[in-house]
This record gives sequence, C-alpha cells and structure tokens, in this order.
Amino acid sequence: MSKESPNKKAEGSEYIRIKFDAPRPYNWSTGKYLGKVYAEAKENKKLVSNRCPQCKEIWLPPTPVCPKCKVDMGWDWVELPQTGTVYQYTYLVYPLWDPHFGEKWANPYPSATILLDNGVFYRHWIEETDKEKLRVGMRVQAVWKEDYDERGQGVQDILYFRTIEE
Amino acid sequence: MPNRVAIVGIGQTYHTGSRDDVSQPEMVAEAVRAALADAQLSIKDIEGVFFGNMETFEGIYLPDHGMAAEVGAFGKPGFKVNTGGTTGASVVTEGFYMVSSGLYDLALVIGFEKQDCGDTTAAISAAAVPTWAKGAATGAIGEFAKQALSYLETSGAKEEHAAMVRLKADRNACRNPHAHLKLGLKSVDEVLKSPYLVWPLRLMDFCPQSCGACALVLASEKRAEKIHKKPVWIADVEVVHQEPFRAGVFGDPTGKETYTQHVACERLYKRNGITNPRKDIDMAEIYEPSNWEEMNLYEHLHFCDKNEGWKLIEKGITEIEGEFPVNPSGGVIATNPIGATPIIRVAEAALQIRGDAGEHQIARDIKTAMATALGGPNWTVLFLLKRSL
Repeated sequence: MSKESPNKKAEGSEYIRIKFDAPRPYNWSTGKYLGKVYAEAKENKKLVSNRCPQCKEIWLPPTPVCPKCKVDMGWDWVELPQTGTVYQYTYLVYPLWDPHFGEKWANPYPSATILLDNGVFYRHWIEETDKEKLRVGMRVQAVWKEDYDERGQGVQDILYFRTIEE
Repeated sequence: MPNRVAIVGIGQTYHTGSRDDVSQPEMVAEAVRAALADAQLSIKDIEGVFFGNMETFEGIYLPDHGMAAEVGAFGKPGFKVNTGGTTGASVVTEGFYMVSSGLYDLALVIGFEKQDCGDTTAAISAAAVPTWAKGAATGAIGEFAKQALSYLETSGAKEEHAAMVRLKADRNACRNPHAHLKLGLKSVDEVLKSPYLVWPLRLMDFCPQSCGACALVLASEKRAEKIHKKPVWIADVEVVHQEPFRAGVFGDPTGKETYTQHVACERLYKRNGITNPRKDIDMAEIYEPSNWEEMNLYEHLHFCDKNEGWKLIEKGITEIEGEFPVNPSGGVIATNPIGATPIIRVAEAALQIRGDAGEHQIARDIKTAMATALGGPNWTVLFLLKRSL
C-alpha cells in the first residue's frame, strides 16, 4: 500500500489514488489435463490435446468432459499439427498491460485464430507485424522457444506463428 | 406454466465518463430511487434485491460489501450476479425467475458500473485463464476486431457502412437524455477520419467506458396492474452459454459470441411463433459493442439473411423512423456502463412499449420488443417484451 496518506482534497476531484508497491504473487494450477499440455510442450515441443471417445472431436484446451456429449473424455491424446491457416486475426495498435504477468505487451502485435491442419482451432500470436502482409488464409507454422530452461509456460512456449511459403 | 412477470418500475442514472461527485454505492442509489419513484413504491415494498456488476473493473471485488443500504438490500433476501458482459441481463433473468416461481411478488433488479475507477481492458484480459489463454487475451476490443474483420472480408460491407451505423447511433443518442457520447456527427467522413485502435476498428467504432446504473422493479401478475397503469410484460427469456476459448460447441468453429445469439434466438422465436422477426417484433434494443457487430448481429438475430446486415443500414430500415428500429436509445456504442448495459437494453425496450421514451420514442405504436445481451464467457441472454400477453 501507499506510504503516503491518501491525497484527498477538499475541492476539485474526489478520486483517491492508491499505489501498490509490493508484489502480489498468485499460484495457478494447470491440473491433470492442461498439465499434460505443459509437459509435452516443455519436453518435446509438441502441441497436444484430447479426443472424445464418443463424438471423436478434439477439444483444445483439453477437457475432462466433452462439452457436446457430456461424457468422460478419458485419456486419448492426439498430437496436433503445428502448421495451419489464419482464420481470423486482429492487429492491436494500443498498448495493453497483462495484469497477470505485470508485463506490457509488444505493440503493435497481431493475434489470430488459426485453423490447424487437422481442423482444430487455436488462438495465438503471429510473428508478422506488417499489417499489409497479414491476411485471412495465410499459412503459418509454430516457432518454439529453443532453450529447454525457458520452456515450461505451456502454450506460451510457442513464441508465435511464422508465415510459411508453400 | 410459470407465473407472469411485468416491469413496473424503470430508473437509470445519466451516463458519463466520469462521476467523481459520487461513490459507486451512491451512484447505484440514484437508479434505485428513480425505479422506485417510477413504480410509486417504497423500498419497504420490495421483497428481494438482485444486483449485478462486472466486479474488478473498478478494482473492487465483492462490491456488495459496501452497498446493502444504498440498494435497499439490508435485511432482505437477494444476491449479486456477475456473468461478464451479460451481467445486467442476468440480474433481470434472476428477478424474473424469482417472481415467476411465485417466491416473491416484487423484486428489484439493478446493474451498475463505475469505470472511472479502474482499467477495464486490463481487467478483461485478466478474465482469461492465465494458464491457457494469455496469447488470446486482447481485451474485448481485440475480439470484436476479429469479428469485424471477418465481416469486412466476407459480407460485402465496406467501412462506409460501419460509419453509417455509427451515425445512426449518434443521431439517436443525441435524442436520449441518458446517453453518454453525443458527438453530433454529421458525415461518414467524420467517422472515417477517426484513428484505428485495433484494425479494422476505429476509435469511433467501439463503445466507450461509461459510469452509470439502471434498475427495474419486477412484479407478479396479481400486483402488476395495481402498481403501474402501463406494465410491460416479460413474455419470454432465453439464455445460452458457451466457452470462448474452447471453440466448437454448437459447431461454431471460432467460439465467437454471435453463435450463441444465433442459437438463443432460434429457440426464442420457435417458442413464440415468430417466423419473420421484422414483422412479428416492432423494435429491438441489441447489445452491439461496435458498429460492425451491429451489422453482424442483424444477421445472427435473423433480422435479415446472411451478408445482408449492411444493406439494412444502407436502406435506413433500422433508423428510428425506419421499418424496424434498432437501438433508438443510441445503443452500447454511445453508452456502456458494462454491468448496467444489458439492463438498459431491457429498460429502453420497455420504455418504447410504454410510449415513455421521450425524444427518442418511436412514432409508431410498439407492442412487442426484443432486448439482447452478450458477454465474455459467451453467454447470450434474450428477452421478448410485450404490452399484453
């Protein structure tokens, strides 16, 4: 909390401003299913998810229960392709703070919904920052953090998706 | 058969970017007093109080810690609801359930947001699951930009059409004493000069951060007509839920909110024998965070065929004077106190049915109206309101 007393003036603005200068740590659990995604990303640079035993749909992120069939998903893991096609994208030109990690994100940066080559949709950042070169339908491929010790952040182990020529 | 429920009291604050003259509970109390005055009731008559706020946008978790007195909940049953963007609609649904079930004859429902206190976009980004969706968290504006871009690339709409939607909203807002942004826009060029925030959304293409509150008094059938000479009946409610980051439910490939709108309105129309919404319903107040989204929603709500939404704007069909007015209040793009935004849709639709909307009253007789809401966890809430059941 602030070391100064709240600056409340008799006239004018009635707002008070409170400054936090101590870190506030949070501990989030990945759980069993997302934990598998984190482990495969860190150990093998693979993107995986699980498949419903009934409707055979692959859900990403993985889930213990099929949203559609409402049945136990079991433990049927599928490796997802790391190439895909941009289905929708946006291009942020205003600065955005990430309140979870306390970081200011790169600006500008493009974020996209990518149709992976097996038909699963996945949302991630795009490397290309030239707006003129971004388009729906562009082909992209995942680029991973190469350093093993830097990995361990789940899907954030993928730096971005890079444009590929085919 | 559930009991019938009517809106018998409507109150809202004025909406603006900054309310440094009041605290959050004081601002909420303004709307509560206005709704009770409209119903000519005392807070002592109210049996249950249900209120909603997109908490943490103001940096406050559990705002109900500090407003039992101001909302009249002290010593009464009730609770707070938070369902993201749909919060204001969820409180109306909650009140509807309670009165319709026969538990209460009179319920007060309230939505509010005071966005001059915190960083809304950071709070929305924080709503994403940190272990999964960091890369996808672009705030609300990023999500609506993606939808706008899809619409731009596939529907045939041009940026000029989005600008025409913005002009309609502004013309209407300028007639609404409660609206926040009243820009007095005159031409498409003025909108097209506005800078891009997130391609292809311009500053003027997206809703503002507003402070404000809105409250409704809901009454059972046996009380409604004795309280208000023009009760507005909640004929039907539909709610559909989806998850934004696990795409695929209902076959929607992108997980975008509009799909739940589509599913919800199909159910609502079927139950109520609505085959041609533009004929069977007289007007709509829809939840359109951006002008692009308004054209997209015309299609998802079946006001027109696919890729025809922009043509409704071009032909002036959804103007106040048009064949099927949409958002005569000026809509969300003019006024967005988030937790209050959907309840304002219901309130404004009800005012149109009563004929009490004032300067932005539709000149024709409005007997049936629709109010919609959509929100972050991909909830959709739809209301069908009628003058008589």
